[in-house]
Amino acid sequence: MTKQQIDCERALRQILEYVDHELGEHDHSLMEQHLRTCKSCFSRMEFEQRLKRKVGALREDEVPSSVSERIKGLLKSF
Amino acid sequence: MAVSRKVFEDQVLALLSCLQGVARRLTRNDADAEDLVAETVARAWRALDSLESEAAFRAWIFRILNNTFISDLRRADARPRLESIECEDEDAEGGDFSIFEQMHQPFLLWFSNPEQEFLDKLLREDLDRALAALPDCYRVVVILSDLEEFSYPEIAATLGIPVGTVRSRLSRARCALQKTLWQQAQAYGLSGAGAPARDRDEFESKARQPNATARQARGNKGTV
Repeated sequence: MTKQQIDCERALRQILEYVDHELGEHDHSLMEQHLRTCKSCFSRMEFEQRLKRKVGALREDEVPSSVSERIKGLLKSF
Repeated sequence: MAVSRKVFEDQVLALLSCLQGVARRLTRNDADAEDLVAETVARAWRALDSLESEAAFRAWIFRILNNTFISDLRRADARPRLESIECEDEDAEGGDFSIFEQMHQPFLLWFSNPEQEFLDKLLREDLDRALAALPDCYRVVVILSDLEEFSYPEIAATLGIPVGTVRSRLSRARCALQKTLWQQAQAYGLSGAGAPARDRDEFESKARQPNATARQARGNKGTV
């Protein structure tokens, strides 16, 4: 049986799902195999992954004390 | 009731920073965000019987937050904003725009990497502005996916849309985000890797303008 491969067109179509860890096991493995051999698709994946991380870094964990106090008060009132 | 009062309280407090963060990015306003979170928690408590399991709590309460946001817009008759949250998925807001496609130079593979240099130059404020400029229906999927790390099925459950729609909407949202970032960079003369000194000088001059004060700290400070 010949080993299945994917071409650049399919790799680019699935690249965001790969970056989001949303590909199924089989597709993920085919993508990894393609990325190992295709520098151009690998560069694209790296770019999308870095941009996603940069957007993710906008997340703010601090809750203003006014919000925190208001919600705690609300929860007590239930 | 799927969860006790104690579990409800614990879950709300554990998710409070996420709820507040998403609310702030939806409303683009701290006071409205605070009201939205409070209204969401009140509605969630009243609708607790509709929660199927503790595991579904996060998607369930974010769905209430999103629905509350939409109903607030309806009540305010904020028609342009409402159209923005209910945008048609066929709308090609960003088309298939890709910064990578604009910048990648395969023959420079081992010597230069313009698209990575572009990312290096992005400031937190650049991304904040580009995210805020997205239509609501695109902004919400980027927030849930990239900031809150929801899976596609969780986003689908939160927004009440099929997983396939999440996939296509997220793809369009990211294209639109990249298009905005690209346009911002062009406005500052930074879209070419290794921008000429003249462009950089012009950029620094723009950075000193009141609306771009954050850019004065260009360098590592403020980058994400």
